[in-house]
Amino acid sequence: MNKIAIAEPSPMLRNGLAQLLDDIPDVEIVLSTDNLNALNCRISALKPDILIINPLLFEYARRATIRAEYDNLPNLRLVGLITSYIESQHQKQFAGIIELNDDLQRVKSTLNQVISTLNTDNDESDTAPLSDREKEVLICLSKGLKNNEIADKLNISVYTVITHRKNIVRKTGIKSVAALTVYAILNNLIEEKDII
Amino acid sequence: MSNLSDFPSQLSPKMKMADAINQYHSLLTVLPRLNIPLGFGEKSIEQLCIEHHVSLPLFTLISRVYCQNDYYPTANELQQCKMADILQYLTLSHKDYLENKLPHIEHHLKRLLDPMDKKYSSLITNFYAEFRKEMEKHFQYEEEVIFPYLRQILSEDEAVESATYQKSDFHQQHDDIEDTLNDLTNLLLKYIPGNISPEDRVDMLLDMYALSNDVAKHAMMEDRILVPYIQLLESKRHE
Repeated sequence: MNKIAIAEPSPMLRNGLAQLLDDIPDVEIVLSTDNLNALNCRISALKPDILIINPLLFEYARRATIRAEYDNLPNLRLVGLITSYIESQHQKQFAGIIELNDDLQRVKSTLNQVISTLNTDNDESDTAPLSDREKEVLICLSKGLKNNEIADKLNISVYTVITHRKNIVRKTGIKSVAALTVYAILNNLIEEKDII
Repeated sequence: MSNLSDFPSQLSPKMKMADAINQYHSLLTVLPRLNIPLGFGEKSIEQLCIEHHVSLPLFTLISRVYCQNDYYPTANELQQCKMADILQYLTLSHKDYLENKLPHIEHHLKRLLDPMDKKYSSLITNFYAEFRKEMEKHFQYEEEVIFPYLRQILSEDEAVESATYQKSDFHQQHDDIEDTLNDLTNLLLKYIPGNISPEDRVDMLLDMYALSNDVAKHAMMEDRILVPYIQLLESKRHE
């Protein structure tokens, strides 16, 4: 599921866009707002994949550096919603551009193109069971090992441990180590006596 | 009162309460906390608010949070509500969670886990107990630290210590509670064998989803109303 946030002052445009997005599979609008404060308050917590934003929300002097405003979210793709003249120089920072006159097909293809750039490093499906390696990482986690200890034990890098952890969370829908431990025991990956 | 016309789609003070509830079921949990009993016949939202001494701006604020996911109140909307009313509502919500919602879920959980091997069921019971503790601790923190701090600023006592809370902690605690609830839901939905208490389990999950939804709205009230309100008051003090 790709999460989308919309920041656009006009309620008509926001709602219209939301309706168009309804037709695109695997897309969910997590935030739709008319102001930057609301956006900036929530964006780190919501972690949308795509932000559709009207550059007019920024005063002129800041318009060239909108992408830089969201540097703390490197995976976020920005799509510009252009409702009046915006310098082409400023448009370059967006992964895609939606213009007021774009027809339905055009909007969809723009978004699909941006979405396709999101999933390249994520070819394994959500429905796959945990891989053997992921199970090993999960067992270590349940026993209370830290990322670096798991890396040492399994002879992999900390970065790889983190990737496995992300995949475990994505597949099971379970985030906390406490609940993952319950999962591991229910699935007979470990015995209760193994936990400290 | 002009902003009352901005009620979420067609929800207006003149609307029948029954119609509002039929459209937005989740408002049903709000009414007992405001001491508005059911059985109100054809009365409108406005009539019921007057009758039960509930501030209409407060009801507006709450129903917008419940019915509009992207709702952030403006400074003007915040100022129409009395902070004391908001705090009372939040405190009553806490009480409702601890005295009604959680015991109800516990009751289901106990029945559900009963036929299970004790070795496994105790895991879930312990996980649930931790969740409950986390929730109690968070409510206690709010009622003992945040709310008194707010009342102090409101009393315009010059000697108020500067903020003793961290806005980011507050957000984090809400996220943690929502995550734990979500984890518990997934464990019960996905990883307990299908032959264990199938009927109780559906009831339990429906309750869990309702609770998750309500807790999310409660967190929104606090993140989007309480925190901005504190900031508004603090900035006024510093003027």
